[in-house]
Amino acid sequence: MEPVYLFSLASQRNEWLSVRQAAIAENIANANTPGYGAKDVTPFTAVFDDVAMPMVATHDGHMGGTAATSKSVDVKKGESWQVSYSGNSVSVEQEMVKATEVNEIHALTTNILKSFHRMMLTSVKG
Amino acid sequence: MVDPLSASMKIAASGLHAQSQRMRVVSENIANADSTGKTAGSDPYRRKTVTFENEFNRAANADLVRVKDVGKDDSAFRIEYEPGNPAADVDGYVKKPNVNILIEMADMRETSRSYEANLKMMTQTRSMVMRTIDLLRNS
Repeated sequence: MEPVYLFSLASQRNEWLSVRQAAIAENIANANTPGYGAKDVTPFTAVFDDVAMPMVATHDGHMGGTAATSKSVDVKKGESWQVSYSGNSVSVEQEMVKATEVNEIHALTTNILKSFHRMMLTSVKG
Repeated sequence: MVDPLSASMKIAASGLHAQSQRMRVVSENIANADSTGKTAGSDPYRRKTVTFENEFNRAANADLVRVKDVGKDDSAFRIEYEPGNPAADVDGYVKKPNVNILIEMADMRETSRSYEANLKMMTQTRSMVMRTIDLLRNS
């Protein structure tokens, strides 16, 4: 049987989306803090491509490879829609757009997971 | 390491709290827009200001927001000629608070917008959690 990657791929995607959601929540909470620079996370494709060949744990004493996680990075100056006089580079509108995007993709991924699971159940039950 | 979704809940909650404190100060300013001093020539109510700062929270592994301090606005008071007022000085001038209602209104609007944005983040995070939980439901 062919290995099924879809479940791990989808859960990685959802994990990345929740990290991004936390970054957006941080930005919105600090929308009125002087001198706060907006943050975002590294794009999913970059995180996904960046997975170094992990060592396989073949013995109980081996340490397992860690999963790829995304770290939050500062948004570069040009990517932020506005920088206010107090040095705050959070644009609430931009963050709303990002949050909606995250929500949509999360819904998509979860629904794919669900339907894939249904497919597997159908093939099992017949 | 805390789950990012519950961390976003915590972050949004800190934002809500900070904005509601700001709303409190704004309403204090508006309520006292005409509060003069008690004795002749004394200073009236002085406008209050709010500043925020971000604070790194280790438990949530994120930058939460909190009110740094509630300061005083040092700008000059309005002076009006009102000889009948108990707070008038010998020349009949009364010091009125340095509160500008228009500025307070703008501040209030901004506060309520920021509050809404934080609330929106909360509902969205909640819907993400609910969708994940719904995966367990047998379809």
